[in-house]
Amino acid sequence: MTYELNLNYLKELERETVLQVLYSDQMMRKVDEERIRKLKMQLQQLRWKGAKSVNHEYQEKSCARCQKRLGLVMNRGAVCTGCSHRICSKCRVSLNPYRWKCTVCYANGNIKVKTGEWFFEERAKKFPAEGRHETVGAKLLKSYQKLSKISVVPPTPPPFTEITGGTSTVELNHSKSFNRSVENLFLSFTTHMKKISKSQNDMTSDKSLLTTDYGQNMDPRKERRSQSDTAISIASQIKNTPSLQKLITGAQGGKKLVTKRTSKQKEIPSSPTSDIVFSGGMKHGSLCSIDSTCSETGNFDNVNVTGEIEFAIRYIFKACTLEICIKACKNLAYGEEKKKKCNPYVKTYLLPDKSPQSKQKTTVKKNTVDPAFHETLKYKIEYSQLETRLLQISVWHSGTLKRRVFLGEVVIPLVSWNFEDNSTQSFNWYQLKAKPEKSDGNAVQYSGELTVCAKLILPSPYNTFQYEEKRREGTEDQVNSDGQLHLVVLGAKNLPMIRADGMLNSFVKGCLCLPGQREVKQKSPLLKKQACPQWKHLFVFKGVIPAQLQHSCLDLTIWDQASFGSNDRFLGGARLGTKEPPSPLESDPQSRLQWQRVLSNPNIWVNITLTLHPNTGALKF
Amino acid sequence: MTDGDYDYLIKLLALGDSGVGKTTFLYRYTDNKFNPKFITTVGIDFREKRVVYNSGGANGSPGKAFKVHLQLWDTAGQERFRSLTTAFFRDAMGFLLMFDLTSQQSFLNVRNWMSQIQANAYCENPDIVLIGNKADLSDQREVNERQAKDLADKYGIPYFETSAATGQNVDKSVDTLLDLIMKRMEQCVDKSQVSDTANGGSSGKLDSAKPEERKCAC
Repeated sequence: MTYELNLNYLKELERETVLQVLYSDQMMRKVDEERIRKLKMQLQQLRWKGAKSVNHEYQEKSCARCQKRLGLVMNRGAVCTGCSHRICSKCRVSLNPYRWKCTVCYANGNIKVKTGEWFFEERAKKFPAEGRHETVGAKLLKSYQKLSKISVVPPTPPPFTEITGGTSTVELNHSKSFNRSVENLFLSFTTHMKKISKSQNDMTSDKSLLTTDYGQNMDPRKERRSQSDTAISIASQIKNTPSLQKLITGAQGGKKLVTKRTSKQKEIPSSPTSDIVFSGGMKHGSLCSIDSTCSETGNFDNVNVTGEIEFAIRYIFKACTLEICIKACKNLAYGEEKKKKCNPYVKTYLLPDKSPQSKQKTTVKKNTVDPAFHETLKYKIEYSQLETRLLQISVWHSGTLKRRVFLGEVVIPLVSWNFEDNSTQSFNWYQLKAKPEKSDGNAVQYSGELTVCAKLILPSPYNTFQYEEKRREGTEDQVNSDGQLHLVVLGAKNLPMIRADGMLNSFVKGCLCLPGQREVKQKSPLLKKQACPQWKHLFVFKGVIPAQLQHSCLDLTIWDQASFGSNDRFLGGARLGTKEPPSPLESDPQSRLQWQRVLSNPNIWVNITLTLHPNTGALKF
Repeated sequence: MTDGDYDYLIKLLALGDSGVGKTTFLYRYTDNKFNPKFITTVGIDFREKRVVYNSGGANGSPGKAFKVHLQLWDTAGQERFRSLTTAFFRDAMGFLLMFDLTSQQSFLNVRNWMSQIQANAYCENPDIVLIGNKADLSDQREVNERQAKDLADKYGIPYFETSAATGQNVDKSVDTLLDLIMKRMEQCVDKSQVSDTANGGSSGKLDSAKPEERKCAC
């Protein structure tokens, strides 16, 4: 439909009726999505059973389905007309006396019918511009939820929660082996195939981009570094754009806050090429992540840590830059003790962010245990952000064949760092330490950050002035005796990268869980192709009672809309609540404090930065 | 309410002028009951029914039985809901185009509804059955069977005279539509198979010869 369809023209009662129908339709769709997911899973399992890997070439004569050896004369198999694989006689399904297909091709056709994909394919021919799988009902509901101030969604049927919660990991695992197998490039429907090949193109073009960059820039690492810097800085810059102001006008406190922030914003010198660099930076970032996974996921050796490192930390307020000047190390342990070999380099992270954007490295010094670096590693980061970060400075030996050996580290909580004091800015020697035992397991899991700003609106006698003003502006329909919870989802950064280009099609779900298992849900609009999405979307939860809120929690989850199929991918989530979460992994005292501040200081906007957890856990959505 | 234990989800949509009996028709089909009261449908609604579909084997073999979940969309016939109801056309796999045998006007409007379908449905020639409802009210009849049959033939679609009151032809007309859709589905897949094999068409013949070779070798 080219025109925007909505339910606005209906009368209140009619709209209610239609919405009720749409909700029951939604329930039915969810049941069906679950059915389709199972079907696809079955097909995938069938594929894996016989998936030929790249290493086993076709010279090896075996049935592509059951892997049984094929004879030269007897049972030599035949080529399936669908997939062109050689298939033994047992793995065939005959369609008629003259035609057969291999089990997978048969299942493929079968699934296309059973999932209704045939219908979407046909429809896409007539309406190529429109959402392939989205139904009108779903669209209407979405647009309505966007408009409505509050929407009480009926409880989701159990199969659905199972989809989004439990199976996401399964699918992740699957996708790994998926890459391994050439067979799986045939995966399901033609559209999907197109998508895969397209993303591969993206990858290759990325690589070529990178290599040309290398050619122009003699120091590729440096270039990469500076670009990922801007990625951080831009993410923080976008946070305060004027449109936010528009969104929350009428709120006195909020107004002040925003203007203050924007004026601060102006101090940041914006580089003229930042946009271009930014996009480039993201692409590199995705490639970097491949590197970092090798070095971070235990693929390294340990030595007995000795030695010290000399560095200085300072914060350039004007440029919003954290600078770490790595001067030298001394008495380092040998990376390869037997050969007395050591090629040290220094790597830094601004924990808890372990994403490629947060990683910085010095150059590698050859054959020395007392290297002198004299290098400055920079992070563009807002000062307010620093107190949530740990600066991790680690020393590594770069061995042959990309072997990494951990030589020691220093971790500095920046919250206790006095950046205003000049004495702390001078160079100091720090003792290198071994990695704390199992520290990674207990560390807060991190899959990015979400910034929100929240306000509880209460019609209290002290604030009549504000209300009168609001009424005049017409932003408020009426003032209930109950309060309203306003929450602006500003934006997120350092979200997991799940696509080759690092871009996400993300949206936020908010679920206010009130006592008595009452849930109020809201959803932000979808932002397409952004690595650091800035939704700036206002959730309004009406009719809340402050006493209730003390026993409630607000779950915010970020999702990447599935490009095909039915399940949106969970990117990260966080809970706002006063109570200690059941799992210590989800504990975030900082945000709990801020949340308490929202509840105890009505009518004042409070900014909250949430650490996103990679697991849905107990989160509702 | 519903479980996912079915093989196909088929979405049908009933359309036609206001008061031709779409809602009662669907009510008869899903619940086998008749409600003579006229309650105008607000915008859209749907009903569900689980049926078993027997696909006739292509070469005389006994076909397989499939569980089919039918979602039957009911639309408001009133003009004021038009933009809403026609929007739902694009999600339907088949259409029950209904008119009232006791209203000449509702029959004349069939043409308009046809063009609405063509404009909004998922493809140019979706599966449709034409249904003349209220066949039980023979004394008030304004549309004769010949007329209606001719029109259906012109469009190349089946025609049924039904009665939600008596249940006459109600099941049959829906089953016919379902059958058309199931056949189209198979064709859709077959077509893509043919295009899959288009460049390797000759190898298909070769392959069928191979098992014989094998026999010889034994």
